[in-house]
Amino acid sequence: MRRRKYTQRKQIKRGLWCLLTLFVMCVFFYPIYTAVITSLKTNQEISRSVTALPQRLGFENYRDAMERSDFMRSLINTCIVTFPSVALIVLCSSMGAYSIARNAKQYRMFGWLDRIYLSSLMLPFQIMMVPIYKIYKTLGLQNSLFGMVLILTGTSIAYATFMYVGFIKSVPREMEEAAEMDGCGPYKVFFQIVLPLLKPVTATVAALHVLWLWNDFNIALIILQKEQVRTLTVKQFYFFSQYTTEYGMAFASAILCMIPVLVFFLFAQKYLIEGVSAGAVKN
Amino acid sequence: MRLKGRKITARTTAKYVFLIPGLCFFAFAIMVPFFMGIHIAFTDWNGITKDYNYVGFRNFAVALGDRQLWEPVVITLEFALYGVIGNTLLSLGLALLVNNRMGKLTTAARTVFYIPCCFSAVLTAFLWKFVYKEIVTAVFGIKNPLGMPKWVVICIVVMQLWNTCGINMLVYLSGLKNIPLDLYEAAVMDGASVIQKFRYITLPMLTPSFTVCVTLALTNFMKTFALPLASTGGGPAGASRTISIYIYENLYRYNKAGYGEAISVMFVVFLVILSTAVQSFFRKREVEI
Repeated sequence: MRRRKYTQRKQIKRGLWCLLTLFVMCVFFYPIYTAVITSLKTNQEISRSVTALPQRLGFENYRDAMERSDFMRSLINTCIVTFPSVALIVLCSSMGAYSIARNAKQYRMFGWLDRIYLSSLMLPFQIMMVPIYKIYKTLGLQNSLFGMVLILTGTSIAYATFMYVGFIKSVPREMEEAAEMDGCGPYKVFFQIVLPLLKPVTATVAALHVLWLWNDFNIALIILQKEQVRTLTVKQFYFFSQYTTEYGMAFASAILCMIPVLVFFLFAQKYLIEGVSAGAVKN
Repeated sequence: MRLKGRKITARTTAKYVFLIPGLCFFAFAIMVPFFMGIHIAFTDWNGITKDYNYVGFRNFAVALGDRQLWEPVVITLEFALYGVIGNTLLSLGLALLVNNRMGKLTTAARTVFYIPCCFSAVLTAFLWKFVYKEIVTAVFGIKNPLGMPKWVVICIVVMQLWNTCGINMLVYLSGLKNIPLDLYEAAVMDGASVIQKFRYITLPMLTPSFTVCVTLALTNFMKTFALPLASTGGGPAGASRTISIYIYENLYRYNKAGYGEAISVMFVVFLVILSTAVQSFFRKREVEI
């Protein structure tokens, strides 16, 4: 009898927890839900009521948003900026980290470099804002997507290297030594033996950086001033301040921006969550 | 013999060759701007022309006496205070929720809480601006809280929490998963209540997660830039203008790049001291099993 009461109470408790979780989930989801329904409404519907559901499914807002915000252009710009940067980050930082992780004990210089990389993570972007603006002005790299790739790669190297160093230290050396015995040069050892072993951490580094660089706003705001080179975030920043009254269209463009991120999230979810749980958090 | 000699040099050079590409990028994007920034802080450069003069410590002296600067400083500290408290409570709460065994609901909840982290600050600001401006006003019948100097900071903190909590939730969650279950079993044997279990086992065992999350939240909220800029532009009447926005305005609006840079140098020094202090505070309290 007592036992049944105990299990009953436990079940009620569990049910309450589930309800609470569902409620919090709804709260978290609410802004996205609003965005979706508003993007489907016409302007009259929105002015009648902001919370009501749309009366019919119309995608005119989306068509308008695509055209007026020049969505494809900024999407392509963002891709041009993000993917080469991530490739460069993965390549440069895995190489650098390999060198640091294997030599830090014998050579002081490598240990110091590791520490310099680490402490640079503390620097906030604000101190770099003015000088980067100045450098880019002198070099004439303002409004250039190539310049954007350079700066995004450079600002991410320290963190990616830090992640790689931690991982490489746990990879045993035997394989490399065996390969060297067989007459493999150092470059062949790295690219054919070490790099494939780093796949798990590479996936995490790449996934996190795709997301971070895709959403980068601070650097893009300073460097990309011209209309044609703006990435999605900067484009949205100006677009939203332009169309403050046409909510339907603005939200349609917001949803359009969400879609690539959500698709990416669904595919890379595992690596993103793994990476963050392992402490891969950046300011 | 010659062959062997060549091989050794290949290996010794290789370790430097591996370093160089990354180091070049790092030097270009971080080291050079950093030292240049310190240099600019001692000039009166206006951000446009080529020539400028050295003014010594004048920028720093002016900043210390600048009454316009005090407002952003206070607002930034407010952001940090509300942000850290809100972040700790909310992300720990979410982690505790998700840590319950609820089958598929757990995975769904974890995903839903994490999704907002994938959105850019601009997008977050836009969504929440609409929620505050249209929905909150329609449902509760009050004025737009983003237009009220008293409430604007809290409103922006809320959006930032929505945008960033998922990350810290995951950190706490992995911390919770690392607590050995037999500790709880032993406590139950001794007749500990739920609250006692939380206070004497969960909290102390989570200290490493606190170290990461509190430091991160503190520096993140101190640096708040994109959200207020995109949602209110620093307004109303400068009520949400943080230090970062003030630096940005000095560069682009007031044409006082040298002065802005002096502020950011002081800001960095302050930030480094603060985060080191917070980190060592928590590090001392970490327990080992």
